[in-house]
Amino acid sequence: MKFYTYFLAGLLCLQGSAWAQVDEESFKALQQQVEQLTQVVNRLVDNTETQKTRIAELEAENSQLKQTMDKKVSIQRAEGSSSAKGLAAFNPDIGVILDVTGQLSQSDEDAEGNDKISARELELVFGHDVDPYTRLDATVTLSDFEEVSLEEAYATYWGIPNVNTRLGRFRPRVGKATALHRDQLKTVDEPLVVQKYLGVEGLSRSGVEFSGFIPAPWEDVVTHEWIAGVMEGGVGEDGALFGDVRRRPSLYARLRHFIEFSDETQLDLGSTYLTGSSDDDQRFEVNALALDATLTHYLTPNNPLTLQAEAMLQDRDETDVLMEDKPWGFYALADYKLNDRFSIGGRYDWVEPIGLDVISSPRNEETAWTGYFTFHQSEYARWRLQYQHAELAEGTNDDRLFLQATFAIGVHKHAIQ
Amino acid sequence: MKNKLVLILCALVVGVLPTTVSAQSRLRVVTTLATFADLVEQVGGEYVKVDALVSPKFNPHFIEPKPGDVLKVKRADLFVHAGLDLELWRFSLVDAAGNTQVRPGGDRELDLSQGVMLLDVPNESVSRAQGDIHIYGNPHYWLSPKNVKVMVQSLAEKLSNLDAEHADEYQQSAERYIAELDRKIQQWEKAMLSEGQGFVAYHNEWLYLAHFLGLESTLFLEPNPGIPPTPKHVGKIKALMKEHNIRTIVRANYNPSSVAEALARELGVSEVVLCPQVNALKPCTDYLQMMNYNVQSLKEALLHE
Ligand SMILES: [Zn+2]
Repeated sequence: MKFYTYFLAGLLCLQGSAWAQVDEESFKALQQQVEQLTQVVNRLVDNTETQKTRIAELEAENSQLKQTMDKKVSIQRAEGSSSAKGLAAFNPDIGVILDVTGQLSQSDEDAEGNDKISARELELVFGHDVDPYTRLDATVTLSDFEEVSLEEAYATYWGIPNVNTRLGRFRPRVGKATALHRDQLKTVDEPLVVQKYLGVEGLSRSGVEFSGFIPAPWEDVVTHEWIAGVMEGGVGEDGALFGDVRRRPSLYARLRHFIEFSDETQLDLGSTYLTGSSDDDQRFEVNALALDATLTHYLTPNNPLTLQAEAMLQDRDETDVLMEDKPWGFYALADYKLNDRFSIGGRYDWVEPIGLDVISSPRNEETAWTGYFTFHQSEYARWRLQYQHAELAEGTNDDRLFLQATFAIGVHKHAIQ
Repeated sequence: MKNKLVLILCALVVGVLPTTVSAQSRLRVVTTLATFADLVEQVGGEYVKVDALVSPKFNPHFIEPKPGDVLKVKRADLFVHAGLDLELWRFSLVDAAGNTQVRPGGDRELDLSQGVMLLDVPNESVSRAQGDIHIYGNPHYWLSPKNVKVMVQSLAEKLSNLDAEHADEYQQSAERYIAELDRKIQQWEKAMLSEGQGFVAYHNEWLYLAHFLGLESTLFLEPNPGIPPTPKHVGKIKALMKEHNIRTIVRANYNPSSVAEALARELGVSEVVLCPQVNALKPCTDYLQMMNYNVQSLKEALLHE
């Protein structure tokens, strides 16, 4: 039996080799065809594999989508926030900021906020682009102690190359603190030098203001900005820098140098020159120079330290010889953010009041020490406790305790300072 | 009086002088984020000069633009931003810059969120009671490399429109980069061993990374996006971590370390710091390196479970 098997195998081999010798060419052709077929099959297998992976991917994506739908949120292709959605895009941005302040004071006067709690300020902020070159912004202020006032209403025009123009009623950029809205201040009140010279809430005037940058080869480190403006005469409530006559305009020019030492440390230096009238004649007899410096240093990304000082020096043509004709004042402030919820700070004020009779007045200057503690509930809600000890020119002292709450709703936007 | 007027006029004239000293042929691109700047460089190469405004050391949600930033945007040929409500400060920035072409809807403005896959888009109307930010959906979308493919394509199209002369180069660079991303995407997907694992994050900014890697990111130390952690909320998160055996806390380099570290110590779980932006930490030198680092760090942290 075994023999037969070997015999048959041998016979087959002989026959095979004989056949191979006979038709070697057609065998090679066959071999090529088989190779080609193998390649085709391999490609098909590859394709199936990729399709399988793709199906698996799609299935995974689908199940994730389903999961997300269950969580009451959805996945969407973003349309981009710039694309205006219907006519709603033409509605102005509206923001509302409420400032409620409680105050305990030694003063007997029944004035705003004395020993009472008041909705000190309700700011209604509106703004929108007028056309591609112009934007309109307005701030209307309501208070439970005062009449409605138009704090700001101005148009910003970008049509002149390299010059920004503001026209209307606005807070002129003549210093740091006065240019800010109350809710942007680090303290409950404006520094005394601002209150006494420019007004308790700072300066807000009608006029026109131009600003721009001064090109410099080192501008990656230092940015130079110029600001110049003409505004109606007069100052804010209880301010005394200029007289009350609004038809005698005041002029101002400011140079600002912003130095970026690093991502963590910046120094902002400014000097402003102001000139205006204290009465109804044609002369610009009041000249003032305002200087400011602000150092910001981030100890960590969440712990900024701010040191700020501002001074205002005046040269007044006082007719009364008993009056100080070169009064000046300053404040220095330190603010430190302890963490993302709390900050602490303090301010020292020193100011020579305008129109003070230097002989009969018990003190020739007013000073105040202020300490505060701020609780940042969120970006849009903030609480502040502030204590202030003031020594007034009239000879008395005043100790005041404030509790301020600030809330903002809607589109809450302030111009960059 | 006359002298004073002359002074003010001088100040005006200096400001009006042409601000570009040398005619630069390269396109000046200003981006809000360092990550976007990297992508612009990948697509634009030698034909662009890129500046990022936000240092990756800081949280891009809460930035106060500086005068230098205003000046950069003023001179920009293209302003690239994240759209949505990631950079709420950008509106007052473009107002101050007065460059009308980079204003919303302008020819030289690019909102990179266009066309990307957004997660957490609310179905119902929203209010600030749900937090300060993320009201249009989660805006940290660049942490999904699949979204970056869309963003790179938008960049190539925008650069080609603004600089038609080099359109072919922009398209080719974008295609090359997308091909490279595709290769990397496969690697990153394979790197993650087990799906469905979860972690606690400080802020809801790792959602896209988690989604891409098949991980869960639903618990946060912030009670709502942008609201700092409260003791009560952290207590709740602690209980949930124990209940679901979650053993990893993730935060960005700029998130405060105290709360996350204390919680990690108390529960004996790992705390990992990831890169939310290019250059946020040393190893994250560009987008691909950043993803390598984030995927690897997350994998190691989760393996310790
Ligand atoms: Zn966020």
